[in-house]
Amino acid sequence: MSRPAPSPIYTLRGSGGPLNTLHFSCLGGDTPLLFSGSGSGAIHIWNLNSRRAEKIVEGHSGSSVIWVNSLQSKDALISQGRDMQVCLWDLREGRSEPVDSVWTSSVGFCQCSLLDSSPGNYLLAFAGEQTEEIKIIELPSKTPVCTLVPDTKLGMVMCIKLWQHIDTDIDPHQLKLSNVVVFPSGRLRLLFHTEPDSGPGPLLLAGYEDGSLLLWDVTQRSKLSQAKAHPEPVMCLTFDTKRLRGISGSSEKKLTPWMLDGQNNLQLQDCVTLVNPGVSDLCIRDDGKLLASAGWDHRVRVFGWKKLRPLAVLQYHPDMVLSVAFSNHQDPRQRLLAAGSKDQRISLWSIYNEGADNG
Amino acid sequence: MPPTMAQISDPKIAFAYLRPACVLLTREPSVANVETVSGQLKDINDATLQQLQEYVLFPLRFVLKVPGPKKDKLVQAVAEAMSHILENTCVQSWETLHNLFSELCLCLCSPTDPGKPADTSEELKLAVLRCLDALLHAAYGDIVFKLFEPIMLPGLGAAISLLLALGEKEKSREVQAAALKCLQALILQCDCTQVHIVPSLEERRAIGSTMASFLPGLTTAIARIITGDLRQGHAVTVKAMKVLSSAVGLVMEDVQLQASEPCKTLSPNLGKITQLVVQRKQDWLKSTAGKLSVLMKKIISCTSAHRHWRVRLEMVELADHLLARCSRSLGECVGLLLEALVGAVNDEEPRVRERCEVALREVSQRNQSSSGDIPGERSSIQTFTDVLSENLHSLATSLPRLMRTSDDQKKLFVLNVFLGYLKVLGPLISVVLNSAAHLERISKALMQVLELDVMDVCIVEERSHSSTIETTSTSSDCCSAHTQRKHFLYFTDEKILSVLMEICRTLGYYGNIYLLTDHFLDLYRQSLAYRKQAAIVLNEIVRGAAGIGVVTESHGLEGEGHGHSTNKDDLKAAVMSVMEEYTSLNNWHLITVSEETNKDRQDQQLLSPPRLLSISNSDISNINVNSLQVIPSTLGSNSPSSSTSTIHQLNSNIWQLCIQLEGIACFSQALGRDFCPLLMTSLYSVLEKAGEETLLVSQAALGSMWVISKACGYPSLKELINENSDYLLNDISLNLQRLNQHPQAPRVLTVMLTHSDCSLLPLVGDIVQDVLMALDLSYDHTAALFCSVLHALMKALARWFPSSCNKTNESTRPQQTSTDQEVLDIRQFLLDYRKQKELAQGIGIEEDDTDNLDVPPPMECEDVEHNDGPNVKAELPSHLNITKDVMERCIHLLSDPSLRLRLKVLDVLELCVCVLSEKENELLPMAHRCWPALLQRLTADDPLAVLRAFRVLCTLGETCGDFLRRRVSKEVLPKLSSSLVRQAPISAKSGPVYTHTVAYKLQLAVLQGLGSLCQRLDLGEADLDAVCEACLPYLSCRQPTRLQEACLSVFRHLIQVDPDSFWFTLNELHCPSTYTPPHPDLLPIKLSGMGRPRDEYSDNVLKLLKEEFD
Repeated sequence: MSRPAPSPIYTLRGSGGPLNTLHFSCLGGDTPLLFSGSGSGAIHIWNLNSRRAEKIVEGHSGSSVIWVNSLQSKDALISQGRDMQVCLWDLREGRSEPVDSVWTSSVGFCQCSLLDSSPGNYLLAFAGEQTEEIKIIELPSKTPVCTLVPDTKLGMVMCIKLWQHIDTDIDPHQLKLSNVVVFPSGRLRLLFHTEPDSGPGPLLLAGYEDGSLLLWDVTQRSKLSQAKAHPEPVMCLTFDTKRLRGISGSSEKKLTPWMLDGQNNLQLQDCVTLVNPGVSDLCIRDDGKLLASAGWDHRVRVFGWKKLRPLAVLQYHPDMVLSVAFSNHQDPRQRLLAAGSKDQRISLWSIYNEGADNG
Repeated sequence: MPPTMAQISDPKIAFAYLRPACVLLTREPSVANVETVSGQLKDINDATLQQLQEYVLFPLRFVLKVPGPKKDKLVQAVAEAMSHILENTCVQSWETLHNLFSELCLCLCSPTDPGKPADTSEELKLAVLRCLDALLHAAYGDIVFKLFEPIMLPGLGAAISLLLALGEKEKSREVQAAALKCLQALILQCDCTQVHIVPSLEERRAIGSTMASFLPGLTTAIARIITGDLRQGHAVTVKAMKVLSSAVGLVMEDVQLQASEPCKTLSPNLGKITQLVVQRKQDWLKSTAGKLSVLMKKIISCTSAHRHWRVRLEMVELADHLLARCSRSLGECVGLLLEALVGAVNDEEPRVRERCEVALREVSQRNQSSSGDIPGERSSIQTFTDVLSENLHSLATSLPRLMRTSDDQKKLFVLNVFLGYLKVLGPLISVVLNSAAHLERISKALMQVLELDVMDVCIVEERSHSSTIETTSTSSDCCSAHTQRKHFLYFTDEKILSVLMEICRTLGYYGNIYLLTDHFLDLYRQSLAYRKQAAIVLNEIVRGAAGIGVVTESHGLEGEGHGHSTNKDDLKAAVMSVMEEYTSLNNWHLITVSEETNKDRQDQQLLSPPRLLSISNSDISNINVNSLQVIPSTLGSNSPSSSTSTIHQLNSNIWQLCIQLEGIACFSQALGRDFCPLLMTSLYSVLEKAGEETLLVSQAALGSMWVISKACGYPSLKELINENSDYLLNDISLNLQRLNQHPQAPRVLTVMLTHSDCSLLPLVGDIVQDVLMALDLSYDHTAALFCSVLHALMKALARWFPSSCNKTNESTRPQQTSTDQEVLDIRQFLLDYRKQKELAQGIGIEEDDTDNLDVPPPMECEDVEHNDGPNVKAELPSHLNITKDVMERCIHLLSDPSLRLRLKVLDVLELCVCVLSEKENELLPMAHRCWPALLQRLTADDPLAVLRAFRVLCTLGETCGDFLRRRVSKEVLPKLSSSLVRQAPISAKSGPVYTHTVAYKLQLAVLQGLGSLCQRLDLGEADLDAVCEACLPYLSCRQPTRLQEACLSVFRHLIQVDPDSFWFTLNELHCPSTYTPPHPDLLPIKLSGMGRPRDEYSDNVLKLLKEEFD
């Protein structure tokens, strides 16, 4: 049954610049928030209850903000600007000052990627000064972890995704006894370790200017596999760590999905053809059911993530859509999709979420 | 009479003093003698008088006792003298009391029939009654009770019936009142200021037991008095009620009856009297209470709506007294008395109200305490509540019938009783309402009573125009003055409505808000017939729940715990659900205009909705068609309802919208600042209606906007809109993309623009782009709709940025005056002329340069502008950008086939020119682009359009005169002047009807604008001549006056441009005087107008010459 196209449930306006990046923070607390980074250098913190900007912070000396994220709690914010800085913000108790900053020396548009390595510690990957260089540091200590440079010329780093295998349930058969500790109290403690190939070393996916995708092992500092996903620069990619499947977009009319096989090889899958070329952002919903793309054709397209079946075209913006994000609200029914556009508005959509609990 | 003022205090002296007079009186009973005695009595002091009491009373009594008829005067004098004695002394002996009592009674009754009052003078009766009263007051406590012994029954009965007869039949009010007072004193229940005996319980029982014999007769007679002639004056009625209340209170007193009546041993020598004695047993009580209730019913119905407040107050007293003393024994009457009390809670007289509140408070406290004290009487409060809720239920049942049949006075009373019950029940209302039967009854009653009369035709016809919106935007008072009164089917009195509203508020205040809103929302949804009433009730319930407009005395049954049950969160939740229902598609988008105007809207239907891939949307579920409801035609694509919608339905829709708008205002009042978050959803809806064409609706919407802005703490509508423009613009922008579903979006924008100021502009900017884009997408269908938005937009811009358009108007004035006052100086003229000539030949240029040194500032200005770089154009202020964009669209729309639209576009265009006039660089290219289209309108269009186009041309002429000069002189002037010339003879010959024709209006418009156009454009001589040629015929006095006036204005302007040539032209036509040359060397002037006889042109020419050249 075909139903009429939905309209956004609300549009947030007043950001004063193109919206390069969006990030929801709806866990904990009573006010769901949405962070947005705009081309005018401001980071807006939107209160989704009152639908107004609660706070506006500026810290990139007027340069465009290309990436925002929050660290665990919503009280710490991390943002990346075109002034080659990554700033950490403390937002607790109404504060809004930068507490720390990292110099990236990258002039490109590549957004950083953040990974929770252990409680309180983060790995931050960003494009480095050299063309193909990716740097990874540990936060908050800012100690460099590694620098990844491919052997061949691939052009600029366009987009990166740092991730780690999440083994929710450890297979007991794969455990190997590594040591036995006898405590003074007389108690024994057995220490196990898992097989190295299923080990949870952080991995990095990177898209390059020539359209290549590379999978890096961060601990080994080595390239695991490589695939030529697009003829044009990879504009964006997103990756489902549960299904080990990702998808990337470029300036052409195609979205290219790909898989990681057991040996961590990138395997391209059948492309999804779009009506109009150009994708600036991709996002998979937390429950792994939906994929949204931000199109240069002013439209947001929604796909079923499993089969990449096109589900909806969301049309509202009169200009390029630059960013999409799904909210992580605890109540699936209140989950939203946000799209930020060059027209300086953010549209909020409430779609495919009423039957979230029964699938 | 001794002159000494000091009273005699020695009994012996007094005795000696009085003796002669007393003896004389005994011997010779005459008025004079009685008066001597009474005069002397005044000289005796009270204590002495007491000692001599028996002695002095004797001769007086003797006078009365003398057999045979006596003169009235004598008896009166005796009675007065006795009154004096009794008022100042005490009666200690039973003998005296008894004898005096019977003697006085004898004086009152007729000698032939002892049961009837004597046919004596009023003065006499008054004197005797006063005496009797004094006697009863003077009686000692230990002897007075002997009056009530069974043996006295016959005498007492005679006295009582006598007094009642006097009270009832007598014509004089004074006598009536005195008799009743006497009666009161007789049963020892007097309430005057003197000291009274306070009977003990035992004594009360004795009196009560005796009086029980007379109660039936007494009460019936008293009831007759009370319900008798309305003209008898309130004093008598009040007295009678007092007697009734004290008598009933005495006989039926619970305390007396509670302790078992001691078995009276009647002495056997009473004989027949035994039959008179009443034993107050259970069955007697029951039957008496039954009879009393009949009487009470009569009395209450007569007094509770009495015109005099004292009577109503007495009624409250009565009810209170009886409820306090004999609520148990009165049985059936309790309900009646309670009802009477409750009905007085809302009395218009505050004294009655206060007394009643106290009484009710006592009633409830008594019930509470008695239920608390005695476990056995647990049911007491229960029964009291039961009585109340029972009464409420039956009243609710009969309410609709009463409202249909009775008169306004009665209706008001009934409703007041209803309200009284609610107030007395207080927090128990929520308990009562839990009973489905009660809730059902009450709600149905309200639904029926509040039925609106929707037959008024003019409601539909009234249309709002933007001008009215603007005027009303200035103050809230203005709006409230416009709100139309609702007409109800069953009552007209405003007071009745306010009581009904208070009933609803009280329900809301004490009731469970969820239960109430759910129930009434159900009614609202259930049937179209109840919808408006349910909305009215809901509005007031919410207000009541917030404690607005509820008089909250702590009477009622709640005791000390306060009864207000609704907290803010509950209220908010309830409000949200109600408001959601109000503003839902079905209930909000109602048709309020008849079909012909609806056609435009149906056009929009043709816009097929862009169907895209299926996505769920919560809104869709709301469109479940209610068959009873008129659905806007834009929804149900070919619903037949629109064609069948009668005036009746339209009116009903209009009222429903008004009520719902009022409701939103009520909700904002109820929630105060907490309403702010709800603005997100509600403000748009309200603004939507503020832009409605129907006057009533738009005014209701404006009114509620004012209330909302007050409630949310905004000083005016402007702030309300500005602060919440993000919410509004969000909805507008979304709905602009779905115009077929939401055709009101442009209207909301119009309202926003009308009420806001330029601070809105940055926010509106992108919406305007949306509008223009939506317009671009489909000129055919949406043009008319958007044109009004563009008009509002440009009007707002013109208001926010008052530009040179007005300034030039002002600047032209001083110029004119300066030329007026310029005195021609021949010498200076010649010097200037020479200088000009030299300049032209290149002499003295350098000098000139130095002269012009003060010019540079403007040059610098230009430099500043050029600093941005030669190629980069300075960014235009956004309002100018918008104006340019709008003007662009106007160019396209100027050739729209619809005349209406063209006219509107011309208006918009004029405003555009006004706004753009501050930046000539921008205006000129735009003017150039729209010239061809404008020219078409000027030369080849409907006269109306020509008229409008001419106005635009004039405005253009004022701002960019140079630019237009050549075009106007080549393309416009020839046509205009030829048409003027062509029309001149026609209008000269026309009759008065001509002024109503379009041709006339066209002439007028052209003439009115032509002058200033010529002056602004600085036209060349040839053109001026042509204009002059065309206008001259209109100077004729045969032309319609207004054309003449307009023509005069043309000439005034022309004279500004070239005074000399027009002086000449005018004089050619008519010359009033001859001109003698200033010097004999100069030739005499010969003008063709000289010496001409007065003709049709003379008047106007003379006027011009006089004004402009003298």
